[in-house]
Amino acid sequence: MNRHGTGGNRSVGVIAQYGSVEAARRAIEVLREEGFEDLEVYSPIPAPELEEAMGIDSSPVRLWALIGAITGCATGFLLSAGASLAYPLVTQGKPIISMPPFFVVMFELAILLTGIFALFSMLVHARKPKLTLSPSYRAAFSVDRWGVFVAAGADRQADAERLLGETDPLAVEVMA
Amino acid sequence: MATAAREIEQVYPTPTLADANEDICRPILVPSWRYALLLSIAIGGVALGGAAWAYQIHKGIGVTGINHPVGWGVYITLFVFWVGIAHSGTLISAILYLFRSGWRTTINRAAEAMTIFAVMTAGLFPLIHLGRVWYFYWLMPYPSQRMIWPDFRSPLVLDVFAVGTYFTISLIFWYTGLIPDLAALRDKFRGWKSKLYGLLSLGWEGSVREWRHYRRAYLIMAGIATPLVLSVHSVVSWDFALAIVPGWHSTIFAPYFVAGAIFSGVAMVITLMVGLRWAFGLEAYVTEYHFENMAKLMLLTSLIVGYAYAVEYFLAYYSADPIEQDSFLWRAFGAYAGPFWIMVFCNVIVPATLWFRDIRRSIPALFVIAVFVNIGMFYERFVIIVSSLAHEYLPSGWGNYTPSWVEISILIGSFSWFYMWFLIFAKTLPVISIAEVKEHLAHEQAHEQAAGRVGGAE
Repeated sequence: MNRHGTGGNRSVGVIAQYGSVEAARRAIEVLREEGFEDLEVYSPIPAPELEEAMGIDSSPVRLWALIGAITGCATGFLLSAGASLAYPLVTQGKPIISMPPFFVVMFELAILLTGIFALFSMLVHARKPKLTLSPSYRAAFSVDRWGVFVAAGADRQADAERLLGETDPLAVEVMA
Repeated sequence: MATAAREIEQVYPTPTLADANEDICRPILVPSWRYALLLSIAIGGVALGGAAWAYQIHKGIGVTGINHPVGWGVYITLFVFWVGIAHSGTLISAILYLFRSGWRTTINRAAEAMTIFAVMTAGLFPLIHLGRVWYFYWLMPYPSQRMIWPDFRSPLVLDVFAVGTYFTISLIFWYTGLIPDLAALRDKFRGWKSKLYGLLSLGWEGSVREWRHYRRAYLIMAGIATPLVLSVHSVVSWDFALAIVPGWHSTIFAPYFVAGAIFSGVAMVITLMVGLRWAFGLEAYVTEYHFENMAKLMLLTSLIVGYAYAVEYFLAYYSADPIEQDSFLWRAFGAYAGPFWIMVFCNVIVPATLWFRDIRRSIPALFVIAVFVNIGMFYERFVIIVSSLAHEYLPSGWGNYTPSWVEISILIGSFSWFYMWFLIFAKTLPVISIAEVKEHLAHEQAHEQAAGRVGGAE
């Protein structure tokens, strides 16, 4: 059992639907003030204000992107310099290790790996791919509704339902 | 503030979030005979190009018009042309994203798709041009038994990296942008369609925790795609500029090619968006306002391209190098004077009409101008490549080139291949980014509500 009384079960709780980012933000604030921290919030559009209301830090994806950039740059140098040393043929009167053309390969591979690392780190951190949708997800959340799900066991469901009911939701549903 | 509000009003008229979902998803996977006809024509063109390529593989590269001294003909012209077309997609999606230009939202998806299909088309041409296509893997740096590695000081090898990276990053960027929309399609459909889009959306739910990583990744991708766009056509231009051929050996080639690429790419976006808007009834989303902005971008890049044409002539004159001067005189008045003047007419004179606001806001006029620009940019690449090679240093080494029927068939095939993919895209995926349109609509609603509250308090 965790402190929300759900035993870590994200299919037990209360879910409310809203028609705007602002309404969803107010609901998150009310819930957090009352000590409900185990929330899942759905939005059809990117909404930084909701991340802020939930107290989420900025994403570690940027660190992975930087690692990708450094790896790509190093790979570009090792590949072009290594290939040139393995087959040391002077062309165009340039030195065997000739930085200006190698820089292009380093640059391109840095960009390539930054993009690949950004994509895959986003997927890993967002727990994707996932074959089944969460029990608290509703199809309307990809259209024009914002959803606030609060995980709450039987003892706290009434409280959560009351609090969410006071935030002018379009619908409230208890998932027992 | 007033300007921002007016801009939002111009970008989107009045659809609600649910309308946007419905309007954009409506044509997806719905059969129509017009679509089937267009797709059949495109597939027919691909079959023609494919047959011509098969014939070339069977008979050898001698069936083309390429010979000494013009070793690069229509194939390399088309390679440069299609890489150029690919440029405006990432320009619109990445650079305008970083500048927070609201007008990009309705056109970025189609422009990005166009980028990917244009690179897919461009990528075929080095292979077709190889002749013995089964040796294409020699381009790759891998430890072989022969101990021979590609020459990393050659711009041709750098080009493999530039175009390969551009394709991969454009694909990743496009797919990342598609994920929330694929989830919207999953939720809209039932049965196998829902399962298919569900798989493609990777189980996206739009939770705030997902968006947090998504927003960061998308911003990083836009950030890296921006220098990448500028680098790719620069590297392509060095395929020419690093050779000592008169007409190619020039320091202005990188910016000249990048401007030309954006110019031709925007023209292609206009050509395709006019068709999509008409076919799918997207008038409420893609308005004159968007077309006018694209027209301005086309006018700007036309001026840069026109300036580059003039500077090339000035540099030839100022170099006091008789061979350089002769090469440029021959370009305008020699065997390829026709293509040269078509290029000047289509790329400099026709786009000058865009100075008039009424023309910029007239969609039929813009369509015609964009088609002229597409033709003009093909001829620009042709003139640069062929007229320079045909008239190098020694008169004994001069010689002209005429494309054969095989090359013309492959040219038709390449346009059909590009349109085939675009048509498939238009029927299977949302041609406008649903999530981004909704984001703007939601901001507009919030803005109106805030204005209403202020008005009420007064």
